[in-house]
Amino acid sequence: MKTYARVGITLALIAAFAATSLAVVNAITAPKIAQYEQKVLEAALSEVSGGYALGSSELVNDNDSIVELYHLVDDNNTLAGYILQLNGNGYGGQMTIMAGYKVDGELLDARLLANSETPGLGKKAESPSYMQKFVGHGGLSEMPIKTNMLDKSDADSVSGSTVTFSAVARTIALGSNYVKELGVK
Amino acid sequence: MTSERREVLTRGIFKENPVFVIMLGLCPTLGVTTQVVNGIGMGLGVIFVLVFSNIFIALLKNFIPNSIRIPAYIVIIAAFVTIVEMVMHAFVPSVYNALGIFLPLIVVNCIILGRAEAFASKNSVLDSFLDGVGMGFGFTLSLTLIAFIREVFGSGTITLIPIGSFDGVIKIPLLYNYPIRILSLAAGALLLMGFLKAFFAWNSERKGETV
Repeated sequence: MKTYARVGITLALIAAFAATSLAVVNAITAPKIAQYEQKVLEAALSEVSGGYALGSSELVNDNDSIVELYHLVDDNNTLAGYILQLNGNGYGGQMTIMAGYKVDGELLDARLLANSETPGLGKKAESPSYMQKFVGHGGLSEMPIKTNMLDKSDADSVSGSTVTFSAVARTIALGSNYVKELGVK
Repeated sequence: MTSERREVLTRGIFKENPVFVIMLGLCPTLGVTTQVVNGIGMGLGVIFVLVFSNIFIALLKNFIPNSIRIPAYIVIIAAFVTIVEMVMHAFVPSVYNALGIFLPLIVVNCIILGRAEAFASKNSVLDSFLDGVGMGFGFTLSLTLIAFIREVFGSGTITLIPIGSFDGVIKIPLLYNYPIRILSLAAGALLLMGFLKAFFAWNSERKGETV
């Protein structure tokens, strides 16, 4: 009995000490992390807005893949497009994509935010240039959702990370279709 | 510094290199070594965790009952990894983003638990500290070497940390346009690992050491 008590108390002491030190570090770093996340979000919003001003935003409840919708307005204050915060499923699990569209569903620009893709392969999708292959599509021209719909240099650049590519492409295409339906309503 | 101490510090680099000789921690080794910068970042994270967990385990070795040493070590290691993760996220978010899932996975990196069990739990605090530095440094060098070969031949680039106007990526002519793509994929990592392991085995044998 005595040994069990000693073992239990020792483990409890170590765990309590670890928990306390983590709480201290968390108290110091949490505000910095929140600040950083907010900055990333704002930067992404302005990058994908295509030069339009940001209007009101609302949470989206009727589609599981879409979290939030921001309205984009032009200089005359008329609706020019939307920005959607989308959830996709990549190679490493859930990913967050911020994508701006014109009202007809054409992609203005997109950014891959939080993700768990493989460093050096799928992670390359984080760079702004990665999204260039989707920009301008989704409206009149079809969104490339398969690698054989890309031209050769783009197809080469996604080799080794096809799962990430399809996840990003499908998520952006889903957003484009959602925006198209909004236009009809 | 006595020669034994020096031996503890330096054997992690060649003689008992954790990756090529002891073959520990192969998952992150093969996983993150697609770019040089990831190898260095992962290595630094491992050095920090390894040094501090070794020190604490050496300090507590008489306090922790033998029957619960593994859970106790894991709690200590996990605490340090979480600290590294939070600090990196707050102060160097770009490195944090690049390492992704491999950062929390340092907890289950067998090098750290392996050194805790095989060395820190039986030796003094100073020796454990030196062992942590040596092994961590050996791990970092191995990762950087593998990442360098894989990135140069597999992508034709060398990715370092961006400073000022330098974006951190060095492009190598010819190889950039015609890379040996397989080296940047998982199969290439295993192939390369086999060649490097063979080289280290040959090197030990040449020096008359048993492998």
